[in-house]
Amino acid sequence: MESIIDVKGLTRKFGDVTAVNNISLSVRKGELFGLLGPNGSGKTTMIKCLTGQLKPTEGGIRVMGIDVVQQPVRVREVVGITPEQETPPSFLTAEEYLHFVGHVRRIQDIEAQCSFWFDFLEFGDKRDVLCKDLSRGTRQKLMVAQAFLHRPELVFIDEPLINLDPLMQRKIKNYLTDYVKGEGTVFISTHILEIAEEICTRIGIIHGGNLVREGPLADLRASSKNLEEVFLDAIRGERPDA
Amino acid sequence: MPSAGSDPMLEIFRRSLLRIFSNRVPANTIFTGMLKEEWRVHSTLFGSAGFAIFPLLLVLLSFAGAFFWPIFSDVLPSQTAVALIHGCYLLAGASVGAFGLFGREVMNRRFGQASLIAYSSRSLPVSEQSILLAFFLKDTVYYFFFWVLPFVGGLAFAAPWIGLPIPSVLRLLATLSLSFLTGLSIVFLLSTVYVHSPRLLLALFIAAGGGVLIFARSVNMGVTGLLPPLGFYEHPTLLLLLVTLLLIIVPCAISVRFMKVEYREETRRFPRTLDSIAGRLAWLPDPHLVAKDALDLSRSEGGAGKVVFSFLFPVMFIWIALFILLRFIPMLSQLMVFAILLGVVSSTIYNWVTEFDLFASYAFLPVETGTVIRGKLESYGLLNVVSIAILVAAGLGTGQVALLIPALLTFASISFYAVAVTVYVGGLSPSIMLYNAKVYVPYLGLITPVLLSLLFISLPDPWFALSSLCLIPPGYYILRKAFSRWSAVEQPGF
Repeated sequence: MESIIDVKGLTRKFGDVTAVNNISLSVRKGELFGLLGPNGSGKTTMIKCLTGQLKPTEGGIRVMGIDVVQQPVRVREVVGITPEQETPPSFLTAEEYLHFVGHVRRIQDIEAQCSFWFDFLEFGDKRDVLCKDLSRGTRQKLMVAQAFLHRPELVFIDEPLINLDPLMQRKIKNYLTDYVKGEGTVFISTHILEIAEEICTRIGIIHGGNLVREGPLADLRASSKNLEEVFLDAIRGERPDA
Repeated sequence: MPSAGSDPMLEIFRRSLLRIFSNRVPANTIFTGMLKEEWRVHSTLFGSAGFAIFPLLLVLLSFAGAFFWPIFSDVLPSQTAVALIHGCYLLAGASVGAFGLFGREVMNRRFGQASLIAYSSRSLPVSEQSILLAFFLKDTVYYFFFWVLPFVGGLAFAAPWIGLPIPSVLRLLATLSLSFLTGLSIVFLLSTVYVHSPRLLLALFIAAGGGVLIFARSVNMGVTGLLPPLGFYEHPTLLLLLVTLLLIIVPCAISVRFMKVEYREETRRFPRTLDSIAGRLAWLPDPHLVAKDALDLSRSEGGAGKVVFSFLFPVMFIWIALFILLRFIPMLSQLMVFAILLGVVSSTIYNWVTEFDLFASYAFLPVETGTVIRGKLESYGLLNVVSIAILVAAGLGTGQVALLIPALLTFASISFYAVAVTVYVGGLSPSIMLYNAKVYVPYLGLITPVLLSLLFISLPDPWFALSSLCLIPPGYYILRKAFSRWSAVEQPGF
């Protein structure tokens, strides 16, 4: 199957700290790839490098055939990104923010797209509320919606469900599963193992900036009872004091 | 603690002080906590060293500036110079007080959901009044060490060389502090009134301002009478000290008593206007970015009040100061010098449009840093209609119609140059970056020589100020440098 993300020897340093260390990785079209790791393991740095928000210290990245280092803005044009921490601008309403993103992305049917996402994520009653007055969960819905507005082939989602209630989590998990069945590709980063175990087709485990396990979920689970054991084994194996 | 006597305002002030210093919440807990917070907020933004050097830089500037005094004293009486310095500190106090209008929103944008002690009365067993008064005291101490002491310290070091008596320097330390506190206290009061009713503020402003001016004219009161700390500097009497202290304590006490701290629980709803504003601005390269800035400004706390406190007050002060200077430097063209200074002051408009934004909000969208800065400059250009209107009004009001066009051209070229420098040194966070000495020094280095040169050039003939048009090419060059510089900062390596 065609590779949609190709990473070769990716390293990102912040001063003396190596956040991502010589990672090579390939994600194929139609996969729901889960990047797992403890807090501070390098997941967000990895996503930022893959989406042209941070330049790698070393290594090459191609996303959808585009050299990310050479054309970072072009990559952000074609992919969708739900960042972990960034919140929408305080003084736009939810609807205005989606229109703002629609304008930036030059989306033609923005009205229809907005209506779909307000209905699907069940926050149409908040469309005229200032973003700063939205609850965390609603802000997260908004950030998920903005990532899919332009119907990208590839979406990066950093900690996708952390502020959402179980019903909405289920809805989004189902959507992501259907999305990859329809030839979309999703790259999610999370430290919640249940999410990855439930929906991801392939897993990478990152710890201390190193990719310590990588492969199809079924293969990784073959030697252990569940993903939690795989994860703990991988992390312990990396820790000198474990 | 002194007894407040029968004055109800002083009684409120006394009770609030007692509340802070009561056993329920130890004074140290709130007051020193706020001091630490203030330091950490700034040092987090640009490092402890950059922040710590700032007062030392003021000492140096004041020390160096003092040696120019013998030159200026030929044309400007020392009384007038002292009055202008007191006016500057009054204004500085006012600007610090005004920050309270919308500081919280700025903090939230910079630090995520910022939580400061000042906002914590809901979770601490302490009243909002007590917290506000502690905040006032913290500002007093903090800005004394940060703004007042360094300036007077620089003068003190230069005193032996320029023949300034040390007792005068010490008196200046006291009266500049009092001027600062007067500005702080009055704007606290005005912002309290504003929070209750913007219309009431306007009425109060007109009534109080008009009343004071009429009274001052009827009793032939000079500037010293209008600004009691200045009066106390020139005639240190107990009565003037009392009047000065009352002018600080009474507005502060009223503010503490009636301050309405809004914890907005309700959600604020607005009809969709982004697209309609952007539609009207379709002739601009980035109409949606400009429309977003417009909504940021109009929907954030303070609204139009921000304009009044952070722009119109300094501009009014400059106009009045020039009016005074005209008596001593007759060849000075009030309109042209006003245009030059307005050009520099107007660059602070760029601070408004960057106050509620961070590049991080755009980093995951297909937007470049340069595009965001360009959008901010478009907003800046539009908002400068306010500056142009002021300049036109000043020109027409003083009957200097013939000088209006050159004044407008001078203003436009300086404003362009000044904003180019501001963008170069401060990027998308100029209001914060300029507190960093490492940033402030190049800013001063690029602005001050140009400003002084133009002021001197315009003295013999106001039309000479049109040489400011020469600033457009370097301004353009600096701006281009700024774009590439901040692209590298916001998105390192690309």
